[in-house]
Amino acid sequence: MGEAFLEVMGLNKQFGGLKAVNDVNFSVAREEILGLIGPNGAGKTTLVRLITGILKADSGSILFKKREITGKKTWDIVNRGIACTFQNMRPFRRLPIIANVMVSCLSPRAMKRGEWVKRIEAKAMDALEFAGISDMALEDASTLSQGDLKRLEVARAIATEPELLILDEPFGGLSPAETELMAKSIHRLHKGGRFGRLHSEGPAMIIIVHKLQQLMKIADRIIVLNFGTIIADGTPVEIVNNSKVIEAYLGEGEI
Amino acid sequence: MDLIRFYVRKLFTVLKNEVIVLPSRVVVVVFFLFLLLLPVFTNNQYTLRIFTLTCIFAILAASWDLLSGFTGQINFGHALFFGVGAYAAAMSNLHVHLPPWASIPLGGLVAVLAGLIIGIPCLRLRGTYLALTTLAFPIILMGFVFAFPDLTGGELGISGIERIARSRVTNYYIVAGLMFGLCTIMWKITDSNTGIIFHAIREDELAVRASGVNTTRYKLLAFCLSGFFAGIAGGLYAHFMRIAGPSTLEVSMSFLVVIWAVFGGVATIYGPVGAVFILFPLLEFLRFWQEYRTLMFACVLIVILLYMPDGLFPWLRDKIETECPRCKIRNIATRTVCRVCSASLE
Repeated sequence: MGEAFLEVMGLNKQFGGLKAVNDVNFSVAREEILGLIGPNGAGKTTLVRLITGILKADSGSILFKKREITGKKTWDIVNRGIACTFQNMRPFRRLPIIANVMVSCLSPRAMKRGEWVKRIEAKAMDALEFAGISDMALEDASTLSQGDLKRLEVARAIATEPELLILDEPFGGLSPAETELMAKSIHRLHKGGRFGRLHSEGPAMIIIVHKLQQLMKIADRIIVLNFGTIIADGTPVEIVNNSKVIEAYLGEGEI
Repeated sequence: MDLIRFYVRKLFTVLKNEVIVLPSRVVVVVFFLFLLLLPVFTNNQYTLRIFTLTCIFAILAASWDLLSGFTGQINFGHALFFGVGAYAAAMSNLHVHLPPWASIPLGGLVAVLAGLIIGIPCLRLRGTYLALTTLAFPIILMGFVFAFPDLTGGELGISGIERIARSRVTNYYIVAGLMFGLCTIMWKITDSNTGIIFHAIREDELAVRASGVNTTRYKLLAFCLSGFFAGIAGGLYAHFMRIAGPSTLEVSMSFLVVIWAVFGGVATIYGPVGAVFILFPLLEFLRFWQEYRTLMFACVLIVILLYMPDGLFPWLRDKIETECPRCKIRNIATRTVCRVCSASLE
């Protein structure tokens, strides 16, 4: 594994009496796709919200490219190179799809990186093209299906040209064919390169799912979270055979 | 001569290809011509006075729409900006002897300061809490006005301010011209990249932040822009009425602005402007039935809200124009194919 790109150290978050994230430590390398799995309520989304500054951690620290980002504002973190998608999609429903992506293109990071692009519409269109929904660019976001909304979320995230992309349940609500397509897109994005006027840094990725099967092909390493604590960390093969993981998913006793 | 011919031909082409093709654009041109030619057809001082005030309130209503309609920061105390603009213009004119062309923009700038002062503490609030907090600010300022009568004139206000111009007709043209110009600027802002972010903040602020945009800065910008335009309206009002009194800060003034915007259609700019041009003269017309005036006004509002929940003007626009399902360009409702992409409109 290469040098740590994102380092999470001793992170804690409590909601009343519930410890949602309990002393979590992990790191992500620059060229890595990290899978984050766990049963419902394991604290996966809370962890992502802490990294992206949507929630404030009770204690612990997060370093991105060796710089402290704990307690920074969400927009600042995004401008430092971390982008995320939401599990429950949050499109701007009454705006056209292209305008949804243009908002990301108007962030300082995207504006600085695309100075040579004269019109941000062009860059937004390329992000939509990559996500595969450019033909619907002028429709209102409220007309999109569940699968297309997921694509829109991805398009919005990649429009900021992130170096670390956090995808929260990118396969949720998708059909097997759509899941396959999304996995391919994720791979293509991770390889990096130029998609029209949009440049992909080949971002490191954290992919959150709760079905292990979906991660087997794409993740380099998987972390398993249960009751806010990391119970396993290893390659997909190691994770599949880990007794603690099996217990967390299937419970104790004979099958 | 050739140059004149060129421009006449260009004007004709624009009229033919860009204006006549859409009823809403024709309405805007007719409205402009109506404002331009009104003093030619009537010399009635009262009518001109009503329309001058209508233009001033149109700027105020559009400025509320810029903040609350587009950005979703519901402001129930918009009279604050209007009052601050009016008082600042009046004081600078009376005490510092600034001419109206300087005191009115100054009123706008002081209202920007007011926007910053109320914007910063209000940034953490949303929805009902924000609305109720903003409602309090003009009331607080009114307390200050009464507390320092030597400076503010107390209940009587500041009177004896210089007129914008000597004749009523010149006054009217200046105010109408400014109304047209400022509303066009507001419309252009909402149509720009900044406007997209304003729209997005109204839809989902967290998602905008997650897109890397500093929403605090944009919300403050919306407060300041809205304050500036409302402050200009306040300054114009003070110089036109030649008085800046506590009535400019009244709660009823704040609510009138909201009623105009909701009646005309929020997040449109043209809606609130059109609504002022219907409701303000209508209220004046109804004064002949003084005892029924408010009742009739309320009836008109209820009918509009019941049958046109998005406001009168978006409803009318949807009746006379249709949007092409393919290229999203608007067409007159009688067309069967899109004027740009030839897609079927049926």
